[in-house]
Amino acid sequence: MSKHSTEHSCLLATFGHEDDLLDATKAARRQGYSIVDIFTPYAVHGLDRAMGLRPSRLTWVCFICGMTGALGMLFFEYWIGALAWAIDVGGKPWNSLPSTVPVAFEAAVFLAAFGSVFALFAVARLFPGKEAYPLIERVTDDHFVLVLDEVDARFDVSQVERLLQPFNLLGLEERVIATGGSR
Amino acid sequence: MTPATLISPQTSRRLAVLYTVSVIVLAVGAAMEPLRIWSNLLLLGFYLVTVGLGGALFIALTYVCGASWSVGFRRIPEALAVLLAPAAIGLGIILAVGREHYAWHAHGHGDAGTFWFKELWADTSFWLIRAVIYFAVWILLSRALVAVSRSQDQSGSVRLSHFNKRLSAFFLVIYAITFSLASFDWLMLLEPMWFSTIWGVYNFAGMVQATLATMIIAGILLRRRGPLQGVFSDDHLHDLGKLLLGFSCFWMYIWFSQYMLIWYTNMPEETSYFIPRAEGAWAPLMVANLVLNWIVPFLVLLPRPCKRSESVMMKVAVVVLVGRWLDLYLMIFPSTVGSPPALGIWEVAGMGLLVGALGWLFIRSFTRAEPIPSGDPLLAESLHYHC
Repeated sequence: MSKHSTEHSCLLATFGHEDDLLDATKAARRQGYSIVDIFTPYAVHGLDRAMGLRPSRLTWVCFICGMTGALGMLFFEYWIGALAWAIDVGGKPWNSLPSTVPVAFEAAVFLAAFGSVFALFAVARLFPGKEAYPLIERVTDDHFVLVLDEVDARFDVSQVERLLQPFNLLGLEERVIATGGSR
Repeated sequence: MTPATLISPQTSRRLAVLYTVSVIVLAVGAAMEPLRIWSNLLLLGFYLVTVGLGGALFIALTYVCGASWSVGFRRIPEALAVLLAPAAIGLGIILAVGREHYAWHAHGHGDAGTFWFKELWADTSFWLIRAVIYFAVWILLSRALVAVSRSQDQSGSVRLSHFNKRLSAFFLVIYAITFSLASFDWLMLLEPMWFSTIWGVYNFAGMVQATLATMIIAGILLRRRGPLQGVFSDDHLHDLGKLLLGFSCFWMYIWFSQYMLIWYTNMPEETSYFIPRAEGAWAPLMVANLVLNWIVPFLVLLPRPCKRSESVMMKVAVVVLVGRWLDLYLMIFPSTVGSPPALGIWEVAGMGLLVGALGWLFIRSFTRAEPIPSGDPLLAESLHYHC
């Protein structure tokens, strides 16, 4: 998958069933074809493994955001309660940890949740007003599209067709598309 | 299937030795320090009963949700649910024999301002009758769930699944009420003048945590030993790990909810529970409780590879089970035995008896039925499960 927006000459293979798509993906990878992306109407289980995607780094973003929220808020509350504006509450010490935990917990959840969602938006380059570009209209309904990269001169469409035919291939189409940030 | 196919004669002998030695040590201790031995037995009985009840709860929850993922290894929680009956009888005897160790039953409340309903509720004979009712209802309903599931092995009828689904919904409602009351009756009443309305939820959280940990260990061992080979997959382990992670956080959340409100309002009638537990040698134990039940499972179970690793999951499950023991220890011992914390040969023997009894009862229950619910229509889905 390329990081930067570039024009690719691609081959779009369409399937009608997720099992066919999964098998075709595995077969294409076994043959060494480079998969640009796969478009499905819904999340297909096991597709990430079949495509050979790396484990998501989003969990780390989530963890770090959560820790930042918790520690940041603990410090902030300590700063208010003990340093900047100390108020005696029921005779308790100013830097009482139990009273700061609930808000620190909320801040951790808040930052982890929003951090993950916005990190996802940023990586996927999703922003308000972004134009939809369905490669094939029915990919939002009942079709599954496997996009292969026509890397070099050796790429032979008829060979690919022979490979994918056993998996109830519905259609094969060559197209030039921009692939930047389209994961 | 016989127990011999599950455990080698060597392991069987070791369990038997552990069991016998623990019983002898506890019997000797009963003559020397009866209160301390009784406290150990109460802990042990409550531990076993909640693990058994947790098995029934897990089955009921998965039926009600229509969950298919857990069907393949459902015989594990079913074996725990079967173990509930002997454990309940044991705990029943412990409660009846030791009712004098509850200050309330020994010499009343000694306070003129006590709410009249509390006097009625905590009356010794009513308290004992209630225990019998709880046990009878739990055993009856969990046995019925297991019996229907086992009879499906032959018939494979979908109607049995539907029947169990309805029975499960009924069980869940009954369970929620009775378990909450039972934890009030048996543990909170050790300190009759103290009260906490979150006590039932707190015990529920610990119970589910310990049950999940037991199921994880059982699943891994049964996969290694054969009966669940190719059935209990890494995906199942992964999902149990997610549940354990979730319930560890839930336990911490509830523990802290109870602690913080009492700490904040700082009223003598409420702080009487935490003050002795935060003093002297109890304080490090209270911290250890949080470390074992939350910090360790939380940090270790966060990464995905850990939840799919047999050895990591095994260790975390053991940590959580020790944590559960410590949690109950901190509920019971400061109220009965008192300061300083009593940790010695009697407690070690109590733990030995717990491991021996749990292992022996589980193997006995598990080998009574087919290892896989072969007649369940959702079995195929469970075997092909990917998480």
